[in-house]
Amino acid sequence: MGLFSNWEMKPKDYDRIVDKNLPDANKELNESQYDTQLGLNMAKDARKVINGSLKIEDFHKVYSSSLTKEFGRYYASDAPDTKKTGAGPKWVMVIDLKKCVGCDTCTVSCKAENRTPPGISYNVVMESLEGDFPNIKAVNLPRPCMQCDKPACAQVCPTRATYKMENGIVAIDNDRCIGCRYCIVACPYGARSFDFGESYEQEMTGFNDVTSPEYGVERGSRKDGKTPIGTVRKCSFCFHRLQRGEEPACVETCIGDARYFGDINDPNSVVSKLAASPRAFRLKEELGTQPSVIYLR
Amino acid sequence: MSNIAIDYKKDLKSKLKSSIKDKTSTAFKVWISFLTVTFLIGGYFIIERFITGLAATNLSSITPWGAWIAFYIFFVGLSAGSFLLSTLIYVFGMEEYERIGKAALFTAIVCMIVALTFVLMDLGRPERLMNAIIYWNVTSPLAWEVHFYIVYIALLMVELYIAMREDLVRAAKTHTLKGVVARLLTSKNSTINEDTKKRDHKWMKILGTIGIPIAILGVHGGTGTIFALVKARPAWNTALFPIIFVVSAMVSGTALLLAMYVIKRKVQKKPIDEKMVQSLAKMMVGFLIIDLGLQFYEYLTGWYGLETEHLDTLGTMFASKMSWSFWGVQMFLGAVVPITIVFWKKTSQNINALLVAAICIVIGIIGVRFNIVVPSLVVPVFHELPWGDYFPTMKEWMVSIGVVSMGLLIYSFGELLLPIEETSDEVKQ
Repeated sequence: MGLFSNWEMKPKDYDRIVDKNLPDANKELNESQYDTQLGLNMAKDARKVINGSLKIEDFHKVYSSSLTKEFGRYYASDAPDTKKTGAGPKWVMVIDLKKCVGCDTCTVSCKAENRTPPGISYNVVMESLEGDFPNIKAVNLPRPCMQCDKPACAQVCPTRATYKMENGIVAIDNDRCIGCRYCIVACPYGARSFDFGESYEQEMTGFNDVTSPEYGVERGSRKDGKTPIGTVRKCSFCFHRLQRGEEPACVETCIGDARYFGDINDPNSVVSKLAASPRAFRLKEELGTQPSVIYLR
Repeated sequence: MSNIAIDYKKDLKSKLKSSIKDKTSTAFKVWISFLTVTFLIGGYFIIERFITGLAATNLSSITPWGAWIAFYIFFVGLSAGSFLLSTLIYVFGMEEYERIGKAALFTAIVCMIVALTFVLMDLGRPERLMNAIIYWNVTSPLAWEVHFYIVYIALLMVELYIAMREDLVRAAKTHTLKGVVARLLTSKNSTINEDTKKRDHKWMKILGTIGIPIAILGVHGGTGTIFALVKARPAWNTALFPIIFVVSAMVSGTALLLAMYVIKRKVQKKPIDEKMVQSLAKMMVGFLIIDLGLQFYEYLTGWYGLETEHLDTLGTMFASKMSWSFWGVQMFLGAVVPITIVFWKKTSQNINALLVAAICIVIGIIGVRFNIVVPSLVVPVFHELPWGDYFPTMKEWMVSIGVVSMGLLIYSFGELLLPIEETSDEVKQ
């Protein structure tokens, strides 16, 4: 019958079906040992909170005393803590040099994760021998991008293609970068590389299908020139992994567990505690770049 | 010529042709065809560079700047130098150099065009050049420079036009190729009288005065700050650096104008103003000696500081396999030879010897520019990182030759079409 009429189901009609199947609130609440009217009022105001006409703080203000009376201190909760709204995480990496064995796993996993072309490595381990025999010691200094708070690269970029994100990561807009390489010259840590367009032609099959997950954007395969050829690239603290709730590849794969990653804004995080350690230092601090990578010596 | 038909139009045409023939001497033809050939060869490599990208160069992420940046700052220097020389004439009234005044302004424009072309060659994404203007980052010295260059080129063009105006108005009445161009550039009502002379003179002074701070602080001192503000490279990061840039710009600008004036006059077999050449040569060497003094203090301070990276940079410059560029080109060709020529009694009055001195200085300043850019970038920012090893590839040289030939072609045709050489009394004859 309905097949030939113009009548259509509207959202309201679906709502009616839902309402029909809902249990009667009054009846349900009457069966419990607690106050029925309080429950009904709370349900009404909770809907107001959801649609934005009532603030959650006011909701708690109205009901906290009656809730405490009804359920006791143990079950009643206060309004959510609003102190931290707006301030998201600020990512920081801590590298314990005493734990680093110089295995270069971070370099390899970084290259595999970010699929960087030949000649480009976002992370390197600088190995040197300090002192004279027999008082000699091998020093391994892993170097990702420092994600400086006062980045020299962003300061000199003529197009604002590189900039500091709120989460502390220094990003590059590869669609704006003109490839002048001034940032590479200005970076005191040598963390930036220019993509000359080389591929692993000799080394592997399917080299042209390699993509790069730059800043959470899957740009497409290298064959089509979609990867940032002709612009500058660098470590992004594996931004694409952070978006999925994972740690950067170098942190996850470090065999000595020498790397820690976390939110410096959270005073209880591991990195915050390690950053306060007397062993903590940062590279080339005298330049005033304020790196977000903290070393423990 | 007497067989020409009486028909006016034909007459005009043939007159035009003959006048072009007069102007285009054999030497000029040989010169133009030589430039065209070098430009075409260079053009092939320029196109190849745009297709393959910067892989055509020997640059790396350790040494990200090389020959093209060195040539860029060299030509910016030539431009600022020749402009400052023109202000000596138009602002400070040194009329003894008036013969090269307009040539100085035109050289300044062409050098800026060449310099910006070198920047374009050096960009990884040349098609996004305008981003530096659209998304101007006010803390970036490079972005400021791009803006200064545009203002500077516009100012130079206006100034050159005013400097040429009288000659253009005069040329507009003649039936020559220059006359045709002059008619395009001037309105029919333009005249020359005392009032316009006064007005032109006043505007030259105003524009020249505005131009001096733009050229010194903006264009050349500014190009120096591109390097001087980089804290990561201690050998650049000194306050003296922009000043050395300006002074060496004066050296190279004076030398280039002197060389061009003498060569042009010799080719055209016209008399050379020997007094002017001699005094220009003295001024050039004067600037050179100031430049050497500043460089001495710059190197001394860096060396005395005993900072590893700074010492490494100086070591790369003074005592590596590339040190021939410093001792051979910058010091011997660019300083010892010209100073000897200008101060030695036997050669100080000889025009040919002074010409050699000027050419030596121009080549020497190319060496200076390379020694600014490369050694600082060969030394890595951490001692443990690999060292750079940079020497321009054949392709980089060929592209450079192509771009320079383009500049020389623009200059040659400019001189053919615009009244740049004439001084007022010559035109009257």
